[in-house]
Amino acid sequence: MNEKIGIKEMLGVAARLILGGVFVYSGWLKAMAPAEEFAYAIETYRVVPAVLTMFVAVTVPWLEIYLGVFLVTGVFTGYSAFCLGALLVGFEGLLLQAIIRKLPVTSCGCFGASKSNSLSYEFVQNLALLALAALAWKCGGKLSIDSKIDSYD
Amino acid sequence: MPARQTARKILIAIMLVCAATLITLTCRQFSIGPARPSPAWRAFGPENARIQIYEYTDFACPACRHAEGNVKNVLELYKGSVRVNFKHYPLAMIHPWSFHAAAYSDCAGRQGKFLEYAGLLFENQEKWAQAKDKPKEFAEYAKKLKLDVPALEACTEEQATIRQVQLDMAEGDLRGVSATPTFIINGKRAVGGGQFLNKVKYFDIVLKK
Repeated sequence: MNEKIGIKEMLGVAARLILGGVFVYSGWLKAMAPAEEFAYAIETYRVVPAVLTMFVAVTVPWLEIYLGVFLVTGVFTGYSAFCLGALLVGFEGLLLQAIIRKLPVTSCGCFGASKSNSLSYEFVQNLALLALAALAWKCGGKLSIDSKIDSYD
Repeated sequence: MPARQTARKILIAIMLVCAATLITLTCRQFSIGPARPSPAWRAFGPENARIQIYEYTDFACPACRHAEGNVKNVLELYKGSVRVNFKHYPLAMIHPWSFHAAAYSDCAGRQGKFLEYAGLLFENQEKWAQAKDKPKEFAEYAKKLKLDVPALEACTEEQATIRQVQLDMAEGDLRGVSATPTFIINGKRAVGGGQFLNKVKYFDIVLKK
C-alpha cells in the first residue's frame, strides 16, 4: 500500500471513477427499463437499421455496465477507458448527425428515456466525458486491481 | 509473469461481470429502479404522494372493471396521499379490441377526457369487448363526450400513441405483470381487486409513519 501518487495520477483515478460511475449509472438505468424504450430512442436517430435496434438496445446497456465496472475497479484499465472512449466517439457521431439533420429527437436515450437534455447539451457533456476517458486511459492506472496484480509477483 | 497476471485479471473480470449481471437482474426482478410515470392525463394525485400506485389494466377485463370503483374510492379517501399511475396492459390475445381501447382512451386523454372515456369503456365493456369488427362504440363514446372525433381517430393511428401503449406493456412485462389488474403499491405487488383492498388496509399505518 505504499504507492506514491502524484497529482496527475490522482486526476487519472478521479477520472476513472467518475467516468466508470457515469457509465454504470446510465447502463443501469437503461437495463432497468424495457429495452423497447431505448430502442425507440435509437430509432429516432435514423442510423441503425430497424432490424438491429432491439439488438443494440439490449446490448449497449450491459456493455456500459461492464465497462463502467471494469473502469471503476481498474481491471484492464487502459482497454476499458479506450473502449468507453470509442463508445463516446460513436455517441458523439450519432448526436452530431442528428443535430446537423435537425432530427426531431425528443429523448436522446443517454440516461434512459425518462429524462433527456437537449442534443447540443449532451454533445458538450460527452466531450467532457471523452476528456475524462483520455485522462483515465493515460494516468488512471493507480489504485486499481491492475496495479495490485502487477505488483503481486 | 505477464501471462499469469493476465489470467488473474481475466478471472477477476469474469467475476465482476457475473456480480454486475446478478445485481442488475435482481434489481430488475424486484422492480428496483426508476418508474416511468404515466402521462399527465392518466396520473392522478400529487406527484410527491407517499403512496404511489401503478395500476396495469385492460379495459376489456371484467376484473379491472370491478377494481376501478375501488381505485376511485381510494383516491377520494386518501386524497393528497395517494397517486395512481394508470398503465395500459391490454391482453390482446384474449381481448381483441383492448389495445384499440387503450389507444382511444389515451387520445381522449389528450383532449382532456381520459377518466370519462375510460369510465364509458368499463361501463359498457360487454358491448364492445368481444365484437367481431372494430366496435363503433369507440367513436360513439367520443361523440357523447363531445370530443373532436376526426382528431381522435387520427390520433389513434399515430405512431406515438401506439408506442405509448406498447411501452406500458413492455414495462409491465419487465415488472412481471401477467394478469390484470396488477397493482404495484410502493414497490409491492397486488394482483386483482381483493389483494388491492388488502394492501389498502395498511395505508393508514404507512401514512402514520
